[in-house]
Amino acid sequence: MTTTVPSLEQIHDRTRSVLTGRIGDAFTAVPSDADLQQALGERYDSLTAMECISAVESEFGIEVDFVADDVRHWFSSVERMVRFTHERLEDTVALGLRS
Amino acid sequence: MTTPATTAPRAPQGTGVSGGEPDLWCTYAAVRTLAWLDRTDSVSDADGTAAYLTGRRNADGGYAWSRGMLSDAWATFYCTQGLRDLGRPVPGLDATSRWLDSTWSGDAYAMLPGQAPDVWATHFSARSAAELCGGRVPDPDRLLDWLSRLQCAEGGLSWSPEDARRGKADVRACYYGVLAWRAATGQASDATPPWDVPALTDWLRARQATSGGFHFGPAAEVPCLWATYRAVGALGALGETPRDPDACRDWIMGLRGPTGAFVRWEGYDVEDVWASFCAVGTLKALGAPLAPVADAVTARISELGCAGGGYTYREPSAAADALSTAAAVLSADPGSPRPEGVRWLEGCQLPNEGGVMYMPGRGSEVRCTLWALAAGAFAEDPAARRRIAGWLAGLQNADGGFGYWEGRGSDMVSTAAAVETAALLGGPDGLGLDLRGVRTFIDSCRVSPDSHDAHDARLSGVSEASRGEPYAHGNVPGGEPGLRPALQAQRVRMLLGPGFAEPAEVSEAVRTLLARHRVRGGGYAGEGHRVPDLLSTYEAVLAADRAGLGLDTAHLRAFTDRVRDAGGTAWSPLAPGSGGPLADCLGTLLARRLTAGPGVLPVLALS
Repeated sequence: MTTTVPSLEQIHDRTRSVLTGRIGDAFTAVPSDADLQQALGERYDSLTAMECISAVESEFGIEVDFVADDVRHWFSSVERMVRFTHERLEDTVALGLRS
Repeated sequence: MTTPATTAPRAPQGTGVSGGEPDLWCTYAAVRTLAWLDRTDSVSDADGTAAYLTGRRNADGGYAWSRGMLSDAWATFYCTQGLRDLGRPVPGLDATSRWLDSTWSGDAYAMLPGQAPDVWATHFSARSAAELCGGRVPDPDRLLDWLSRLQCAEGGLSWSPEDARRGKADVRACYYGVLAWRAATGQASDATPPWDVPALTDWLRARQATSGGFHFGPAAEVPCLWATYRAVGALGALGETPRDPDACRDWIMGLRGPTGAFVRWEGYDVEDVWASFCAVGTLKALGAPLAPVADAVTARISELGCAGGGYTYREPSAAADALSTAAAVLSADPGSPRPEGVRWLEGCQLPNEGGVMYMPGRGSEVRCTLWALAAGAFAEDPAARRRIAGWLAGLQNADGGFGYWEGRGSDMVSTAAAVETAALLGGPDGLGLDLRGVRTFIDSCRVSPDSHDAHDARLSGVSEASRGEPYAHGNVPGGEPGLRPALQAQRVRMLLGPGFAEPAEVSEAVRTLLARHRVRGGGYAGEGHRVPDLLSTYEAVLAADRAGLGLDTAHLRAFTDRVRDAGGTAWSPLAPGSGGPLADCLGTLLARRLTAGPGVLPVLALS
């Protein structure tokens, strides 16, 4: 049985959908390369960031290490989240951790 | 009877540390004073000040002392009242009303959900419910009965019915009780106060000194503007006047400083925001004209505005606070001590209350006192240490715990801070504390399936899984469990000694808690074991050292490396940049612990 890692576009769309559910309408107009803290201000505080990370973890079945992974960097924009998620899924498949 | 002041009421000497940041109480006091003077058009950066107040709103509808903290009644009143005085909309009143209901104990209001009610919280929340939300308190009859039980045998009101039985009357409690009664009854003209009003009036009037000012109570050392405002305000709300209104007005006008604004005590040398707040409030309650002081007070308050909105107590560059100053002293290179900071901290012991104040001129707080002592303040001053010990003994509540300051309901962080303070003073034995009561309060904060029946309503938000965890504790009875209150409880048990807790059991509890909240990548989490944070990690290392457990330095280093950089220390890997002087202090001390043995970490309590 083979496992296919979703494309970057698919991860992008699913990530935006997940974040919209967490942040709400204020997120809709935020470009994917924008720094979320700058674009959303206090709406993207550490509590919201944690909720968004948990949502991405749940959506893609991955796990984020809040110390070993540089979460402030990788979860500062949608583009970075997509790259992080894609690489984590590729690692997971390469290591045979998922059938 | 008045006793001579043992501490001159002057501003601290030495050099304190100021962050130049606004403070909620100062912001409320500044805006309220300008509103009384009809000068809100003078609010500096009104948009920024409104944003500062609105930014304290939590998702639950309540407001917090600072962003990221739990909602409490005090912050909720100050933020919403400040917004109203600014003429700004107060968002989501329905949610605020529901949050206020969550603090209702059945008889009165508590500062936090689950906490025992006190008259501070009851005043704030009754007024918020009635005057802000346009509703009523949940059960006015029960509240009036509770308020009626605040009266002491001598006539004055106390913080709670339990404190009333202990005879702890205070003019602040009188004011809060009377204003809560007015709010609960809708200020109806035919409402009858639930007290022996002549006895209450006589007690309040007897607090007026021959100079014209008022004392907090019979044991207070000197009259001050804070006590005068609360006493005159309470009398005014009862339709009464001071024994000598003219002397009171003259005494107030004699407390004007060089600019024409006010100082809190005779002989004090800083015209601060709360002195002007109390002076203007008293003049208004006396029916005295405000015009003679309006220009000077407005001008002085304009000097206290912070960049970006909000106010602090004096010029922002000089507005040092005890926690930031203690943090600077504690995190300084041990080879480069900061005696000027210690001297400033020692100057925060002012008349009437023997503890250390967060900001000079307001009330003594137990956490600030602990930080100051940990920083070395009063080490060579036995008389000052005796004053602290006496203040601490009088602070203990009837339930055995301690609150932030006099009259506040008990919570774990304050109780742990109080017992640790007693330890630094040579106790906790011998200081007159009720140690059995301390243990009773600590035990009441334990969260277990057995406690569910006792706190049924208050535990509704606690998950079944959390309730079943061994050694789980909340910050207040029925509160959400977390690592910090659980470890604070074990620290207190260790300090109380073998007569109150078995050392082996305490060590096992700490070991179990640390294992449950250890984050795989480094550090410890306050909830679960996923997101580590600085406060929890500091508390974890402190408790491990106290319990004699080994420290995994690589695990701790992984965390400190993540949250520390050249710019300072963040509160968690998710928080931006430096968390300010307190976070930087904790980060520095943890890094120092990595190269030193157990015992190097000072006990510091924040939340």
